[in-house]
Amino acid sequence: MTASARVAITGVGIVNAGIVGDSAALGAFLAAPRPAPDLAEGAVARVPSSAIAALIDPGEARRLSRVCQLAIGAARLAVAESGVDAARGLGLVVGTEFGDLASTHLFADGFLERGPSGLSPLLFPNTVMNTMAATTAIAVGARELGLTLNAPTVAGELAVARAAAAVASGQAPAVLAGGVDEIDAVVERELPALGFAGDRIGEGATFVVLETPESAQARGARILGHVAAAAWRTLPARPWGVGRRRRSQAIRAVLERAGVGPAHLGAVYASASGDRRRDAWEAAVLSAALGPDVPPAAALARLLGRHAGLGVLRVAAAAWTARSGLLPAATESLTAMTRVWPRPGLVHGLARGGTHVALVVGA
Amino acid sequence: MRRVVVTGVGAVSPHGIGVKAYWSGLASGTCALRALSGIIETDGFRCRIGGEVPEAVGGSSRRTRADRFALAAAEEALSDAGLGIGDREDVALVVVAVGGGMLEAEAWYWATARGRAARLVPAVRSVLPCAHADTLATRLRVRGPRHTVVTACSSGAVAMAEAAALIADGVVDVALAGGVDSITRICFMGFNALKLLDPAPCRPFDRDRRGMSIGEGAGFVVLENAAVARARGARTYAELAGYGMTTDAYHITAPEPEGDGMVRAIRAALRSARQAPAAVQYVNAHGTGTPQNDRVEARALERVFSEGGVLVSSTKSMIGHTMAAAGSLEAIATVLALNHGVVPPTANLETPDPDVHFDCVPRASRETALDCAISNSFGFGGQNVTLLFRRR
Repeated sequence: MTASARVAITGVGIVNAGIVGDSAALGAFLAAPRPAPDLAEGAVARVPSSAIAALIDPGEARRLSRVCQLAIGAARLAVAESGVDAARGLGLVVGTEFGDLASTHLFADGFLERGPSGLSPLLFPNTVMNTMAATTAIAVGARELGLTLNAPTVAGELAVARAAAAVASGQAPAVLAGGVDEIDAVVERELPALGFAGDRIGEGATFVVLETPESAQARGARILGHVAAAAWRTLPARPWGVGRRRRSQAIRAVLERAGVGPAHLGAVYASASGDRRRDAWEAAVLSAALGPDVPPAAALARLLGRHAGLGVLRVAAAAWTARSGLLPAATESLTAMTRVWPRPGLVHGLARGGTHVALVVGA
Repeated sequence: MRRVVVTGVGAVSPHGIGVKAYWSGLASGTCALRALSGIIETDGFRCRIGGEVPEAVGGSSRRTRADRFALAAAEEALSDAGLGIGDREDVALVVVAVGGGMLEAEAWYWATARGRAARLVPAVRSVLPCAHADTLATRLRVRGPRHTVVTACSSGAVAMAEAAALIADGVVDVALAGGVDSITRICFMGFNALKLLDPAPCRPFDRDRRGMSIGEGAGFVVLENAAVARARGARTYAELAGYGMTTDAYHITAPEPEGDGMVRAIRAALRSARQAPAAVQYVNAHGTGTPQNDRVEARALERVFSEGGVLVSSTKSMIGHTMAAAGSLEAIATVLALNHGVVPPTANLETPDPDVHFDCVPRASRETALDCAISNSFGFGGQNVTLLFRRR
């Protein structure tokens, strides 16, 4: 799907290892970037329990899995900043790579330890990947279309692209689009065996509220940025593999629809995360698509760890860069800032297996 | 907006491999629910039956059971639509699943927990629902936009709606869309834990219904821009004329008691198809057989269509609830009902629930000319989807 009409971003909510808050917290972090504490020492960036506890009251937390708490915390922050009225029609699109695997393991462990009597009927619904969307919809009153998109690496970008298409086509007046993942102990333990030893893994959730610029202006909402165009396509690759093809239909489509040439992009927010083969493929795709005009590229996974929420965060960050002309994490030094033209930027994601997303994001 | 038509169908179901076996089973009212044969352990559970695919699907044993279902159904749909390898470069792919390769991942997890060695990588890599889309894209060389959606038990219908949106928006002219799930331990144990399974074959809309039966399978369709299908002389089964997707935002497992979200989904489908309720002649119901679902769905149907306004049947009574495949297989059943002028029955329906004010086509299929029908799918989290098909 390709969103061609401009869609406004009116709210941002973030809960991850380095940022908890709305667009102001994001701006503060991007202006003075620092790696999440865990990530500086190891390979994962965890969200501290205190950050979640500050957003979800204990009574509600007892009924929710941790990954659902991450999603609801970030979603509420985004809705609060936007001021959007869910009663007037709010859709929800959530991207995730792993869903609630922790609950799935707990549910299975109950049976393995005690047989049928050890099974928890309360845990079972969490084993279905839409559990974060279901609980978030209840928490914020989102009653229009509700989708959970599953993809490795690019689930967050995909969620924003799909949500932008829903707003542009009138499927919903406003859509809350987000990404969420939790570090699962089993996946973390087995990552080296899966071939992702270099991948920097994180967790958390980021949501943005998308609506038409006209609707945002009519209700006096502050517009934090625009998704000028979004598209997703596929590059050939074996499951979990990287491919050789570099010609990107997704980038071509969004540049065309946004009316922006490669030379007019201010920056790129890429999905590079330390997975060397995938990162090299993405660099080759960007180089082939943008030619000699490849603008400076940021890789926020080096600061916050790769998770579905980061894909959404990169969209909000691209809007911030388009306003400020500042780009973090674009050089070897993670704390250095690169000055760029304050222009629309490209948010790009490429997954093992070939799912490929591109968005042009402006101020 | 471009019109979207169905030009190919493919099915793997508890009635067997292929659409012919599927439709033959439905039209004859055959219940394929029986004791599970051993793909999972059922000892100690109250319910031990389900709708199991009765024959080997073929394909590499290195692939997951669900991948093999998906490949067989998707290949049948593409072949039915007359789309060869060379025609697939720009075909979109929307694949939905709930369990993904969970059956094989469970085997690894169970073995590891019990101290036995097991191969990790294939198990963990196949566990995510999106693994099927990657497999299908590679194996079938389908290289258009690809995504995987999970909306629990309504996923299969969402696949159709998402693919139709890609075509209507002009992104692609052709899309392959469908849902797949194999029976898994987690699913079987979970519904047992919720006490939602009937130990006997399910009886949707029966006064004495006691719950659902689980099943497995895959259903895929080829959807196409009507103008492109016409230009290439493709056979058209039906038009996917409208759809509606809503969320209850009410409860994680229970539907909103008045069926508000379901009503909004049905009305959205009617609105997008520019169709009046009176034009709809048949509803392929979500019809799980649980007391609560059937009561609320009947209430929602009554609010839209008035008492007795449509024929209603649940094909889950014959194949069980096939999870993410359900919405796709039921969409195919609806399309075939339109084509054949035959409404498949609700098997096992002996004593109609007096609170369900519709003819639920008990036990035997009904011949009747059909021009317009809807297929309902509802999922955990209050995820409601209605597809509206018109005969072409």
